[in-house]
Order: sequence, then C-alpha cells, then structure tokens
Amino acid sequence: MATHPRRFLGITLAAIVAFAAAACGGGTPHAAPSSSGATQSGFPVKLTDDDGVKVTMNAPPQRIVTFSPSDTEIVFALGLGDRLVGVSGPADDYPAAAKGITQVGAGQFGTDLNVEKVVALHADVVLYSFGTAPWMAQVRKVGIPVFTTHATSVDDTMHDIDTLGRLLGASSAATALTARMRRSAGLIEGSVAKQSAETCFYEVGYNPLYTVGPGSLEYDLLQKAGCDPVTSGAKSAYPQWSVEALVKENPDVYLVASESATSAQAVAKRPGYDGLTAVKQGRVDLVDSSLISRPGPRLVQGLAVLAKDLHPEAFG
Amino acid sequence: MIVLVAGLAGAFLLAVGLGTVAVSPWDTTRLVAWKLHLIGHPHVAASTQVILFQLRLPRVLLAMVVGAALAVAGTLFQGLFRNPMADPAIIGVSSGAALGAVVVIVAGGAAALGGLGVSAAAFVGAIVTAFLVYRLARIGPATHVATLLLAGIAIASLISGVISIVMSLSGQEIRSIYFWLLGGVGDRGWSSLEVATPLVAIGIAVAVVLVGDLNLMTMGEERASQLGSEVERFKRISLGAGALLAAAAVSVSGVIGFVGLMTPHIMRLVVGSDHRRLLPASILGGAIFLVLADLAARTVISPEELPVGAVTALLGAPFFLWLLRRQRQVSYA
Repeated sequence: MATHPRRFLGITLAAIVAFAAAACGGGTPHAAPSSSGATQSGFPVKLTDDDGVKVTMNAPPQRIVTFSPSDTEIVFALGLGDRLVGVSGPADDYPAAAKGITQVGAGQFGTDLNVEKVVALHADVVLYSFGTAPWMAQVRKVGIPVFTTHATSVDDTMHDIDTLGRLLGASSAATALTARMRRSAGLIEGSVAKQSAETCFYEVGYNPLYTVGPGSLEYDLLQKAGCDPVTSGAKSAYPQWSVEALVKENPDVYLVASESATSAQAVAKRPGYDGLTAVKQGRVDLVDSSLISRPGPRLVQGLAVLAKDLHPEAFG
Repeated sequence: MIVLVAGLAGAFLLAVGLGTVAVSPWDTTRLVAWKLHLIGHPHVAASTQVILFQLRLPRVLLAMVVGAALAVAGTLFQGLFRNPMADPAIIGVSSGAALGAVVVIVAGGAAALGGLGVSAAAFVGAIVTAFLVYRLARIGPATHVATLLLAGIAIASLISGVISIVMSLSGQEIRSIYFWLLGGVGDRGWSSLEVATPLVAIGIAVAVVLVGDLNLMTMGEERASQLGSEVERFKRISLGAGALLAAAAVSVSGVIGFVGLMTPHIMRLVVGSDHRRLLPASILGGAIFLVLADLAARTVISPEELPVGAVTALLGAPFFLWLLRRQRQVSYA
C-alpha cells in the first residue's frame, strides 16, 4: 500500500485527527461556558424535542441525567461534566470521567431506566437519543422533563448539539463546538471529494450478519467519507444481510465495528469470506464503533478514521 | 414415502438454486462435477463458486440434518411420553444447551476450539441437563413418565432463570446471545456440519432400532412390558438418543422451535401412527420443512434475512391446523 503513488493533499490524517479531537473538546476547561448572564439570559427556554414533545426549562439544569453515551459525551464537551449526576451504564465510557458517574440503567438489557434512582438523584432533565421508551412517561409524570434527539446524519448531530446547548444553557459553547466540527468535516469531505468513491460494506454484527442502510447515522458517515455502500438498496437502517449477497456485491473495503470481531484475520477465516476482494487485498479494517455510531462530538474523528480506511493513499 | 423422498430432493434442488444470488442447476452440476474431478474448471463466476460451495451447500445440508434430528427427537419423545406436547425442549435439552452457549459467549470463549466453542458448550449443557432430569425423575428402579415431564419442566424453568440473570449481568454480549437463542443455520460453513452429522446419524440409527418398542409403547407401559418390551431399558436408550439428536441440532443451530414438536404430528396425520412408517416420514419431513423454512427466511426479503424460527412457526402452524381440521379422527398416542 505504502508504495502507491500518492497525491499529496496538504492534509494528513494526524492533522485531521488532532483537529477533530480539538473540536471534540471532551471535558477540556476552555470549553466551559461562563455561568454569567450571557448564557442564562435565554431562559426560560422553550424547545420541542424530536418526539414532538414541548419542553420548557426555566433555568439552566444543574443536575443532568443522560441515558445515551452520545448525550454523555455532548454534556462533557459543552463543559457541563460536573453537572452530570447520572448516566445509562457501562456503555457511557467516554470521556473517562463518565465512568465514575452513577448508572441509572435497569432491566434485562439495561435498556430500562430506573425511575426511582433518577428521582433520588434530583435530576432536572433526562437526555435520551434512542427513540421512545416506556419509562419516559413515568419520568415525565414525576415532573422531570425528558428531552429526546434522534440524529441519523452528521448534520442532524450538529443541529442536536446546538439544541442541547440551548436547553442546557451552554449555547455559546455548543455553537463553538459545532463550528469546529463543521470545519473539520469540511476539510475531510473536501479531500474525499478529490478521490474516487470506493464500494464498501460496514459490519455491525456477525452471525447473523448485520449492516447499515440508508437512514442510519453510520451510512451517512460512510458516504461522507467517500464510500459507496453496497447496501444502498436496504429497506431498513440496520438490516440483516446475506453473506451470499455480500460475496456477489464484493465491496472494495470491508469495515467491521470493533465489537463484532476480534481481528481482521478472524474475519478472513469465516465461510465464504476468502472470496472477497477486500479480504484478498487486506482491506478489512476494524473501526472503533463508538466514534461512528454515537451522534456526539467525536463523530468527525469517526469520519476521519473512515476516510483513512477508505482512501489510505490520500490520508496516509 | 416416495412422495416425501421426491419432496426432499425437490426441496434440496430448489434451495441450492434459489437465494440472494440465483445459481442455475446447470452451473451447479458443472461445479459439482468439477469438484469431483470429473471435468475441467467450468466458466462460472468465481463468486458463484464461493457462494455455492462455502455458503449455499453447507447451509442447505445443515438445514436437512438439523431438521431431521429435531423431528426424530420429537418423534422419540412423543412416543416415549405418549404425550402430544412432548418435544426436544421437554427434558431440558434446549435450555441446557442455551445455558452452555450463553456461559461460553459471556466468558468470551466463543472463538475456542476453532470457533466451535459455543457448539461444544451447548452440546455439553444439553447432555448434562438431560442426564440430570433423568436422574431426578428416577424413583427407585422405575422412571415415571409424568415425573420425567415435570422434572424436565422444572429444570427448564430453573435454567431459564439462570440465563436471564447471566444475560442481565453481561453488557456487551447481549446481541450474540440473543441471536444464538433465536436460532439459524446460515453462515456456519462445513465445520458445523462435520460436527453434527455423525452425532445425528448415530441418534437416528438408534431410533430406527427402537421402532418396534415405540409401537408397543403406544399401547401403554404395562401392556408393552407384558408384550416383552424391556420398558426401562427402552426408556433409557430412547431418552439418550433423543437427547443426543436434540443436543447435536441445538449446538450448531441454536434454538429453532416448532420443527421437533410439529413435524411428528404432521407426519402422523399423513402416514399414520405406525412408527415403522412414522419415523422415516419424520426424518424426511423434518429435513424438507427446515430446508424450505430456511429458503423462505433468506429469500423473502433478500438480501436481508428473516429469523428462521419465525418462519418455521409462520409456515408450520397454519399447515398443521389445516391438516388437523381435515383429519380430526386420527389418534395421537
């Protein structure tokens, strides 16, 4: 790979990642909003969430509970980590400070929220980004607002971060963050535009094989990273896919969510996979899925990682 | 019976030919002939060759073996317990297998034994549970059928509880556990088939030998022993064979419902209750049923796939009800 003639694009991956990391600003002090009147003057704030529910915040919430790892990352990136009193569970693993916060997940899969715990935490607001859930009504009934966001694209994510900034009284931090993210994304997309699109496949899980289709955040990110996913005809956002179809579609690059396989070698050993060009040419890459499946501040880092996997000679 | 043999051949050809990517019978014939060194390499797309030999053929064959195994296990248990509700799950085999699989998945040992760690653990779990249920149900020299059923149900509930707890304590592995419990025969390659086939062959061979005793059992335990059947020995052997079959099937394909319970009933309605006809009919019927169910699972919304367990229930239940309404007088014993 390294011997390929390369077009120098004046932008290296290291620079992009550094830039994206700066854009993320996870918990860094300079991202903290001032608690002066400038950020609070907007209150009371009236916003409508992605479920169409109207939420009114009379003052910036001092005790925040997040029920999605992406919301946890956003709260930290807005410099409000010290106001976070509850997170969902072990999946809230970034930034490191999130791991010490009380977990409010309950039920068989941790997908249910322990309402009693949230009440005991005196939460001012609960943030959630996975759709509607039965516990929401209960939380609202005890007087704690629930604010939901459902980002399915990079643009949605920026929009949601701005919205959460207003809701939490940190709109200037949010605007600054999304501006940095947009700049990084623009640089990456600009470089990608000069490359020819590669066909690719993104594996969410194996046995059975699961992938991403139009309407998912990952799909949008793949396209922006210069990939033409072979799953463009999928009818759902996270469809099960047949390996037979995969072999026939024969993508140039095979990307695997980090939790779905132990190594590229393990992927190559699966039945039928030795027929894939991506396997023969060593273009199977494991991707840290927390960078590309969470609609949060690190999404642009995910974009950079994908762009490098898809166009190694341009971003090497 | 000839109809069933033809049906299996037809289902096999159909299932090999159809799929996300159609493989013509001509290409299949030429590729198989080439594999057998009969002809030179035919001009067929490389992807077709990979699909046929690494994905399609092992999948269809595994569906046949698993379908036959589950159906024979069901026939044995229904005959042994003289209970129409008996199926491979009844003596705790399925839940034992599930517990074995779940423990290995959670412990991160799924890749052990060349990727067969889950299958091996499921097999061990199934056999151990079946043995445990049998020992618990044994009072003095005799094993009462009702006690056996109840012990099986109790152990199965106990194990389900343990599985739920293990699942709620494990975060990351939920998805693989969930899909293992859902069952399926896709993308297992030849290795699963190589493991399951000898075990299933042994189980079926034993079942064939037991055909006479199964027929005697339909007249009741006492009558069977009066007629010269060594009832206790028969019970032990048929339980062992049924457990072996179910464990082999569950260990490679996860929990696929309906086949073991319904196939013997459907076949009883078609060929009658004589086990000399019922057993071979169940072998063929189970194989046909699962091959067709899997074919439907992978073609209906291709290239996406449905869980095969849902298809077995969707296809099987209405067909069974239709048969039931048509021939209401058939005895169940």
